[in-house]
Amino acid sequence: MHTKEKTSSVVIRLIIAIIIAAYVLFPFFLVVINSFKDSNEITANPIGLNGASFSKLVRNLDEVINNSSFTFWQTFGYSALITVLSLGLLALFGAMAAWVICRNKTVWSNVIYFTFIASMIIPFQVVMLPLISTFRDVGKFIGIPMLKSVPGIVFAYLGFGGAMTVFILVGFIKGIPFDLEEAASIDGCSPEQVFFKVIFPLLTPVITTVTILNGMWIWNDYLLPSMMLGQNGPVKTLPVAVQAFVGSYVKQWNLILAAALLAILPMIILFLIAQKQIMEGMIEGAVKG
Amino acid sequence: MKTPSSTKGALSILCLIAGLGLLIWSLALDFTKSEASFRGTTLILGIVGIVLGLYFFPTLKHHRTIINILFLFPLLFAFLVTVIIPLFLGIGYSFTDWDGIRVRNSVGLTNYTSMFTQPSFLWSIFLTFLFVVCNMIMVNLVAFLLALLCTSKIKGLGFFRAAYFLPNLIGGIVLGYIWQFIFSNVVTKLFNTQYSMIADTGTAFLAVIIVYIWQYAGYIMLIYITGLNTIPGDVLEASAIDGAGPMQTLFEIKIPMIAPTITICTFLTLTSAFKQFDVNLALTNGKGSVDIFGNYLTNGTEMLALNIYNTAVIKNNYALGQAKAVLFFIILACVSILQVRISNKKEVEL
Amino acid sequence: MKKKVLSILLAGTMALSMTACGGSTGTTDTAADTAESTETATESTEAAESTEAAESTEAAESTASAGAIRLLNGKPEINDQLKELAELYKTETGNEVVIETIGGDTSAGDELKKMYQADNMPDIFVIEANQAATWDGMLADLAGEEWTDKTGFELVNDSMGTIGFPYTVEATALGYNADILSQAGVDPSTLTSPDAWKAACEAIDAKKDELGLTAVFAWCAEPTNLGWSSGTHVFGQYLDAGLKADDTTYIDLLNDGGQIDEARMKDFAEFVGMMNQYADKDHLLVDGTYDEQVAGFKEGKFAFITQGNWCVTSPDDVSFEVGFAPYAFEDGINTIIAGPPSYWVAYKDGNVDASKAFFNWCAGDSAQNILVNKAGLVSPFDDCQYEATNPFYKSMKSYIDAGNYSGWHTMLKKDGLQNETCQVFADYAKGSIADADEFVEKISSVIKGYYAE
Repeated sequence: MHTKEKTSSVVIRLIIAIIIAAYVLFPFFLVVINSFKDSNEITANPIGLNGASFSKLVRNLDEVINNSSFTFWQTFGYSALITVLSLGLLALFGAMAAWVICRNKTVWSNVIYFTFIASMIIPFQVVMLPLISTFRDVGKFIGIPMLKSVPGIVFAYLGFGGAMTVFILVGFIKGIPFDLEEAASIDGCSPEQVFFKVIFPLLTPVITTVTILNGMWIWNDYLLPSMMLGQNGPVKTLPVAVQAFVGSYVKQWNLILAAALLAILPMIILFLIAQKQIMEGMIEGAVKG
Repeated sequence: MKTPSSTKGALSILCLIAGLGLLIWSLALDFTKSEASFRGTTLILGIVGIVLGLYFFPTLKHHRTIINILFLFPLLFAFLVTVIIPLFLGIGYSFTDWDGIRVRNSVGLTNYTSMFTQPSFLWSIFLTFLFVVCNMIMVNLVAFLLALLCTSKIKGLGFFRAAYFLPNLIGGIVLGYIWQFIFSNVVTKLFNTQYSMIADTGTAFLAVIIVYIWQYAGYIMLIYITGLNTIPGDVLEASAIDGAGPMQTLFEIKIPMIAPTITICTFLTLTSAFKQFDVNLALTNGKGSVDIFGNYLTNGTEMLALNIYNTAVIKNNYALGQAKAVLFFIILACVSILQVRISNKKEVEL
Repeated sequence: MKKKVLSILLAGTMALSMTACGGSTGTTDTAADTAESTETATESTEAAESTEAAESTEAAESTASAGAIRLLNGKPEINDQLKELAELYKTETGNEVVIETIGGDTSAGDELKKMYQADNMPDIFVIEANQAATWDGMLADLAGEEWTDKTGFELVNDSMGTIGFPYTVEATALGYNADILSQAGVDPSTLTSPDAWKAACEAIDAKKDELGLTAVFAWCAEPTNLGWSSGTHVFGQYLDAGLKADDTTYIDLLNDGGQIDEARMKDFAEFVGMMNQYADKDHLLVDGTYDEQVAGFKEGKFAFITQGNWCVTSPDDVSFEVGFAPYAFEDGINTIIAGPPSYWVAYKDGNVDASKAFFNWCAGDSAQNILVNKAGLVSPFDDCQYEATNPFYKSMKSYIDAGNYSGWHTMLKKDGLQNETCQVFADYAKGSIADADEFVEKISSVIKGYYAE
């Protein structure tokens, strides 16, 4: 074919790709360089490296980390705890429920399955307000606080994430040959043993997908934790803390950007480590959802 | 299975009794208005007792059913309490004067009629539709072009894909503040404009769209790449041999062949654009003025999701906010169903 | 039998791990829970005993936390000083106050509504006078408390009695930089008419470069983050400027379905137009921030600032004398707005006795020392021996002593109105509202619309 034309068009495409990448990454670049400056330098020149120094970064981070409405380590800990607990329980309970739904062809399992699917179009806004009052009453009734507490919000994520988790898992479990389970039953396995010893290990790839999808959502979610936990509650997640921090009079960009840096850093590090899995997981989730 | 069934039976009964006992006791404490903090623990222990009792229940015939119930219970219970009950409560509340705590009167359709007399709400609906349409077109276009770029033969493809996808990792709130900084400090410097884009309603709306595309296009691009990669190589080769130009290949082979992917992406951008909240809140907080319907409105960039939130939480009008949310739900459901119908038909035709 | 014990132990551990999750809410009773759940698990038949044990732990806990009250503060700038105050309170009385701060862009009033929904009300919280209606019937009557004899600034409500504890007195008008005014040959005491203001602005503007000024007014009408400044404070001048402190003419008119006095509003609009004209149009006026506004004033880049005494709290902040000049948009206006803009109130279902005790202590000497000397607040109490360190204090006091002060009636407008009106100020600043007549027309339609909602 026309090799020469191809080379030139490859170069053009590469240049375009680089320009777009520069545009896409520019905001990240700005966050990083401006975290190294003080407020006046940012106002004077937000793009250049003038006045950037490591000691200023340390000072900015120090101020942000110790700020009473941000309290980074504590917030980060709660964010991580809530995300990990929710993901673990969603994976376990989701797989259990999906297996039961998938392996029982009864009217009930169909009703449950389609209710889950239908619920996926329910926007959060429509349940947001009654959710708070329901949780308040349930919390009072059972004697375990459901608002402003870790168990409460984990429970809520279990409910909201359940539909998509079950949907994706059912799709996968359908593809597992039933012979496997029959063989295990004949070997004397009880149903629960069949599930935990035979099925659950086979689900690893799809559970990774589900965990990535749910993880991205839960880690970045703002509205649910802001409604349930409040901005000054004992438990806070990172997005809520960033909002609370920026929301105070202090419109000092060096601190806000340092806070943003701290908030996005865990995600970026995770992405660099598990880039392939995350991108594949997101695609799979979208294609199946 | 290996435990003698008599021991198992006894154990099961014991657990059931203990569990029920604890459960009843904790509920009794509840009704006697005891403030004891161990109430929650008692309840959990009771539930655990019942679960174990059921699990050890000495029956072979119903064991499978019991396991099914136990396996379904946790997720289904959470789903009921967080989604289904609030959904029906919410629909019910929208016909009352609910203030977030209690319901005093049923008001029929008053909430639904009064929201349509609010010009600011009508504007929010209009703006949301505008936003959705703009984004559906723009995000898909940009993402598709990026996907074409990222499936062609250039160096560092992996890097570019990852780089374009990166913004999608960041939550809307943080992202909104980062862009607020960019619009008010950087863009004004770079283009030497007098005001930040956010200061003017029109450009502020544009700013929200820009941020949204920036955040979302990389993700949609990934899906298009997957779609493009499913086109068999020999089909493309055959068309090249037939002398089809790149444009012809694109419009006559690639696009028709990824029609299902286009459906998925349109659906995804549509629903997510409809629900846009975080960026709207952090970037403009709905501010801006607009002269429309013969009114001077001060919620120039406030989209539906934010309007609902502000009506209920900020203006303290829970019932009205809830009614708006129900309408939001209905719109979203209709649009989703319609969308799927239309694209299903298309796929069949192709 | 062994198996049975084993599985019961298993149940115990499961319950234990679940309650351990529950304990991670930040409360300290995990240990108690754990002990209790092991007990229940091992002696499930003898529940009575464990009840007793658990109840005694519970009782001990509740007495320990009886004195601890929560205070929701709406001023982030004094957060650290309030924490210091809480520490002192603990060392002096042994009682605990936990300070929680919300504020700035996130309004404490809005957050409180969410906290109420979540059944998480603090014992003491901050309200502005018009928010009393939101909490109707839910606030404790503080009448007869010791501190009420020492101040005339407490908040009295028709239905709930004396509800608000004034923790500070604040003033707002046009803050000026005395050095710049004297260099430009402007005497601030003459600024009591629109003409005098116009002349002064022209005089200062002419010497702008010489004096190193960016603009005459540090005035920012940005609506998203600073809506409270234009929509509440500056707007408040229309309601109160020139009126006696107890004169409610214009606020009554406003609250009667959102009416405005068009002639007065027109004069006010022309004055705001003058402020727009002599403001920093390139940077501050349309899309600036509070920090930039205050920093510019402190650096001497502006002659006037549209904030109040809270923007300069310590004498170290400024190298020049400051004072207040009235928003004289009509001839003869010579007052500033002064009084408590917000109050601390005690939640009726909270720990009212502990809150009352805290208020009495706050009015006392050691607390006033921190509030006045460290937090830079101006004391509302007659017997306070500390001269406020606030640089604006001298000017404030001269207005108050002469009786030339108006009330904070802007805090009585319908809650949330500022979120709407600030947009009109922003459009006027940007120029998309062309003149004073259009400003009056737009603001009156916005206000009417909001009151009709």
